[in-house]
Amino acid sequence: MRKRALQIRLSAWTTVIAALLCLLGATAQAQQPICSAWLIESSRFMNVPFGAFMPDRTFVPGSTKPESNIPSVDLPVNIGVIKCGSELILYDTGWKQQDYLKMTGSDHWAPLADQLKVLGFNAADVTKVVIGHAHWDHAGQLSDLPNAVLYVQREELKAIEWALNYPEPHIRAINSDPGGCNRTPACGYMPLTMEEVYGKVLKGKAVIVDGETEILPGVRIHPAFRAHTAGSQLLEVPTSIGKLVFGSDAFSSYEGIRDWMTANVQQTDTVQQFLAYEKCYKITGGYSNCVAAHEPLSYTDKYPLTKNSWVALNGGRMAEIALAPGEKSRKP
Amino acid sequence: MPRGRSLLLAGVVVALAATIGSAWLHEMRPRSVVKPAAQTVSTSAERPPPRALTADEERFATALWAVHREATRSAVAMSFAGITYQTEGRDARALARKIEPLAKFFQDAEMRVRTMSPPPPLSNMHEQYVDAMALYANAAAEMLKFTEDGDSQRLHAAHRLDLRASEDMLRVGEVLWPGQYKPH
Repeated sequence: MRKRALQIRLSAWTTVIAALLCLLGATAQAQQPICSAWLIESSRFMNVPFGAFMPDRTFVPGSTKPESNIPSVDLPVNIGVIKCGSELILYDTGWKQQDYLKMTGSDHWAPLADQLKVLGFNAADVTKVVIGHAHWDHAGQLSDLPNAVLYVQREELKAIEWALNYPEPHIRAINSDPGGCNRTPACGYMPLTMEEVYGKVLKGKAVIVDGETEILPGVRIHPAFRAHTAGSQLLEVPTSIGKLVFGSDAFSSYEGIRDWMTANVQQTDTVQQFLAYEKCYKITGGYSNCVAAHEPLSYTDKYPLTKNSWVALNGGRMAEIALAPGEKSRKP
Repeated sequence: MPRGRSLLLAGVVVALAATIGSAWLHEMRPRSVVKPAAQTVSTSAERPPPRALTADEERFATALWAVHREATRSAVAMSFAGITYQTEGRDARALARKIEPLAKFFQDAEMRVRTMSPPPPLSNMHEQYVDAMALYANAAAEMLKFTEDGDSQRLHAAHRLDLRASEDMLRVGEVLWPGQYKPH
């Protein structure tokens, strides 16, 4: 009888504790901000041979197979704009076209500050910039975001510095033509871009990240080392349509994530790229909410996350991905 | 019948209210605040293709590339010397050890490029490249002075010089090696 009473008391306490834990969990979840998210096309690289972007989709003349009958693709350079309460975060920053850097073969570039204005934001209001990696076409325009704190992985910086000091000149090369680098370890880290990264560090506006970290409640950086570059990083963002994961070039192609195909191999270990895809599946429950940096189908119905889109400055496109409760649409 | 008429009237009123409401919401939505004047960047269709280099110009570009390839690496190495100093223990001696060979490289590069003879149409490019090497050399000198006197303003001055130099290198590169940076 006494044993029975003890059992009842024990199970009652267990129930109370479980209920309290549930309540605490729910409260913590309720405290997590729901963020709004937009995507802006910084520019578009035109007529890139499909095989250079996705080796398993190399064009084969005369082929009728859907994986090999497209000769070239136009690749957007996508930037994530994320608003969580009063915080305005950018994921990647594109690159800056100048009279001295036109990038033959690119189109639809517009200044990031002007693109933010289209969405009703000021560049000076950007509080955080998370770069998926430090290549020139993803980490540019940093000096136009004077108040933003930069988040970059230590692993990314260490790997570039290692490559710079490598004795063999091809391995330490930064620029491509003629006869320079091709997917070698320091390739694509332009001096202007790296000096702007240094500028953020020098001004005390940089956080050197070691692996995983939470930059706001629920907004989490995940390392994706070697998924595109040595120190690539993803960004998990809670929204009204579920969690999003921004992937920069670890997720260069939405179709690549959906169909388990590698894309945009640079300083890339393809195994790590697939593990980065898997990370998105795990966090978001599928591939639909993985945000790709260069998906040719961006801003169309064929990439549903980005279909709520419009044409903005200089023919560049934008998409409204998710709105937090109370957040007004910024689509014109 | 009168009841039917009232229902119809109510329906019309509701429809009108919905139309006005939706028009009001449409007007209240945030709009682009960028004036069309800001949309001045031309599309590739309007942009003239880069001019092809003559044989003489090609020869100059090839000779300069030998310097440029190493200058680009050294420029990034200078940024990284600064990054490492700021993020890894602020060791001024280690910073000096990294900057000294870079300072020498840019001084030598300035001299080497200065002695090159460009074809006349590229004389401005040539001067610009010499200036870029000089700016990098000055930036390195400022960083070395910092390692001696600890005046952090020197690092900021060096950073500004580095930015200008990297822009100058891009200006020359846009003409001589327009494919030097690929989509990444």
